[in-house]
Amino acid sequence: MKYHILEKDQLECFVRSLSKKMKAVGPVAKGHNNYAFEEVTSASQLSLDYIPTILPPKKYFMPNKEKMIDFDLGGKTPSAQAALECEELAIMGVHTCDLAGIQCLNIVFNERPRDYNYLLRKEKLFIIGVECNKYCDEYASCALVNSHLPNGGYDLFFTDVGDRYVINVNTQKGEDFVESVGLDKAEGRDLAAMDKIREEKRKIFKNEVDIDPKKLPEIFDKSYNSKVWEKVAEKCLSCGNCTNVCPTCYCFDMEDFINLDLKTGSRVRTWDSCQFETFAAVAGGENFRGERSMRQRHRVYRKFKFPVDKFNRFFCTGCGRCSRTCMAGINLKEILKEVAEESKF
Amino acid sequence: MPKNEKKISNKPKVAFFDFACCEGCQLQIANMGEDLLDLLGVIDVVEFREVMSEKWDKDYDVAMIEGSITDHHAEERIKKIRSRSKVLIAYGSCATLGGVNGMKNSFELDEIRKYVYGAGYTYFDSTPTKAVDQVVKVDYYVHGCPVYLPEVVEVLKCALRGIPYSVPDKPVCSECKLNENGCLYEKGVVCLGPWTKAGCNSWCPNNGNICYGCRGLVKNPAKNAAKNIIEKYRLDPALMKNKFDMYNKAKEATNEPKK
Amino acid sequence: MEIKNSNWKSRKAKIINARQMTVSEKWFDIRLEDGELDHEPGQFVQVELFGVGEAPISICSSPTKKGSFELTVRAAGRVTREMHKLDKGDNIAVRGPFGKPFPVKTMVGNDLLFVAGGLGLAPLRSLINYVMDNRREFGKVDILLGSRSPKDMLFGNEISEWQKRLDVNFACTVDRGAPEWKGNVGLITSLIPGINLNPERTYAVVVGPPIMYKFVINELLKKNISERHIVLSLERHMKCGMGKCGHCQIDHPKNYYCCKDGPTFTYDEVKDAKKL
Repeated sequence: MKYHILEKDQLECFVRSLSKKMKAVGPVAKGHNNYAFEEVTSASQLSLDYIPTILPPKKYFMPNKEKMIDFDLGGKTPSAQAALECEELAIMGVHTCDLAGIQCLNIVFNERPRDYNYLLRKEKLFIIGVECNKYCDEYASCALVNSHLPNGGYDLFFTDVGDRYVINVNTQKGEDFVESVGLDKAEGRDLAAMDKIREEKRKIFKNEVDIDPKKLPEIFDKSYNSKVWEKVAEKCLSCGNCTNVCPTCYCFDMEDFINLDLKTGSRVRTWDSCQFETFAAVAGGENFRGERSMRQRHRVYRKFKFPVDKFNRFFCTGCGRCSRTCMAGINLKEILKEVAEESKF
Repeated sequence: MPKNEKKISNKPKVAFFDFACCEGCQLQIANMGEDLLDLLGVIDVVEFREVMSEKWDKDYDVAMIEGSITDHHAEERIKKIRSRSKVLIAYGSCATLGGVNGMKNSFELDEIRKYVYGAGYTYFDSTPTKAVDQVVKVDYYVHGCPVYLPEVVEVLKCALRGIPYSVPDKPVCSECKLNENGCLYEKGVVCLGPWTKAGCNSWCPNNGNICYGCRGLVKNPAKNAAKNIIEKYRLDPALMKNKFDMYNKAKEATNEPKK
Repeated sequence: MEIKNSNWKSRKAKIINARQMTVSEKWFDIRLEDGELDHEPGQFVQVELFGVGEAPISICSSPTKKGSFELTVRAAGRVTREMHKLDKGDNIAVRGPFGKPFPVKTMVGNDLLFVAGGLGLAPLRSLINYVMDNRREFGKVDILLGSRSPKDMLFGNEISEWQKRLDVNFACTVDRGAPEWKGNVGLITSLIPGINLNPERTYAVVVGPPIMYKFVINELLKKNISERHIVLSLERHMKCGMGKCGHCQIDHPKNYYCCKDGPTFTYDEVKDAKKL
């Protein structure tokens, strides 16, 4: 493991050299305690002490309107070409929960048949994580799924130890950049300061729902017909915000757009949501998840049940976005507590 | 007739008509900018009162209808336009929903006529406000007050190619969140986004405004959730109802869209 | 930028024959530019109409038929309605084949009972014709067919061929009769009690609209056919065909993507789904 240090007053220089090398984005304050990943060219634009952004960094990994095909109907026979749109991009200030989210997406798009649009784009992204020394807010449940500590998935990782950041270098790409900026190697006292932060974190971050995560699969085995889903459905607006903001939701739709010449156009992948009324409907009219209760259950099962069966990992990163964003007040932690309580009987 | 020679191309003939409305949607189209020039490359605009004086005496490939139907004369006129048009597009909330003109339907018709026209009100014809599809068949809808231009262009492309356009049936919130707007409810204001059809790219919230519901309700609006939200945010139910009525009153009439 | 190994690349094809079968169903014979489709019975393709979209369609011809493959398309959505406007000589594109085929190998040596309702005959026909072309490999074959009315019946010519065969027991019924109709009138479930079968060695393959499954399966269970010997092909909106987009995931405690883990399932696998 390689560690370097960055004095806080050098952050500006770091961001500038990064943004000169490639487009750089990071968490930016949007007012009313909202944050979003946006392009930055100076450290003054960044808010590294932030609660999870409205949209997770997945917006750079699988952009909402992603061109997959260019077609041309003008010729003798229609022709099409598979397309890829990507650019070098540095994403700064990624929380450990969001790093976990990116790891989940990597698993999904690496599963055969592999999604090369995703995989090739991912290679162009330079990921700089940042450690949370304390909880962002009461919606988080990162300790439950053990995503409050760094667990790979980044090029560089910042830990704030007071007057400086200790930077963990995890990849050659990270190494090259750190060298180009000329950062000092971390010394014993820096690493000790980092260890102390982690020690403190162990005291602060505690399983937020008081359910043994190992028991969750068993709990969900029993919760398919739980009353919780009806209760949640009473509140649900089917607006799809909980899935849009989820770092591991990747369901999508394909849409064709034609240009005004009515000949050329493109097939585009857009984000979709299992919460939308017509998501599971077929052209003949049948809707296989026509009720809000079924759709809410589906969402939660896609975090705690299905991916555990398939990939042996939770697809909840504990970021708390779904609960934070739900204006109707549907709270994931409450749902977990309720199904756990119910499964005891 | 050399003057008309330009018109006799084989491009589809598109005509714009207005009924009871503010003509704001026409203005949007007239001010479309570059897209309008591209659009004019594929269609012939044969009637458009706001920008030209010519009239067309043959059939229309596409009729664009703005405004709601509010008197007997308008009903006859829209029926005539329908009979001359291969495709009819209702655009703007007045045409697609009845829009703000629908607020008239909250009152006794004669009462409102007296209020507007005074003692001689009987000389002025008036009927309860109707959306265009409550009088004639509508092939395509472009909701909005005013219409969202990218959607107008999408719908026109569908109409020209003869394929259907589906108005998104999910709430405005879905687009609002993708635009990374903070929720207006958290800022203490009431917004109709959760029940209103998306498709406008959350145009108003993007600019700091609330959603007024100008695109009409989604097919299955979350009624229970509305009750919860009224409680959660301590809202006045009457105020909520008024907000919904602003655009959606005419659609309360039970008559199904004309097929 | 062009990308070489995209999953969204399609295969160019030409419609070499097309025929309107009923008011809402049209049949297409399609030849791929790059060779055989190489499918198995029960699989589907994504039909691509650039500028309109994609639609998953079951392949209705048997892989034993070489040179082209066939689709029966019901005009139900945006893409399928557009597809009805296409005819012999028109160009299209497809992706696929996709999906888990019928378990043909485990069926070998067993008796087969085919139950098709409406458009369900399309995917089933791929298997039926495969079995006909490899008739010796299988035991007794029963085919039960249900349609809304005589004029909705698909593949009329082939049906009369099956009817004539001595190595096939065939019966059909319509929900609503017509003056010239001399056959059975009633639901397809009414045909099952009369079938003589050995439950130990029978595979029942059932394909039809969601509403049909519950009732047909009930009758089959009454005949003591095991849940593992009842094979279904489920309808869902299979948008990507690669087990990713999420649309076709079945509402079930287990993680089933219809496009990848199906569309064929044994009843045993999916019986906990509220809607089949």
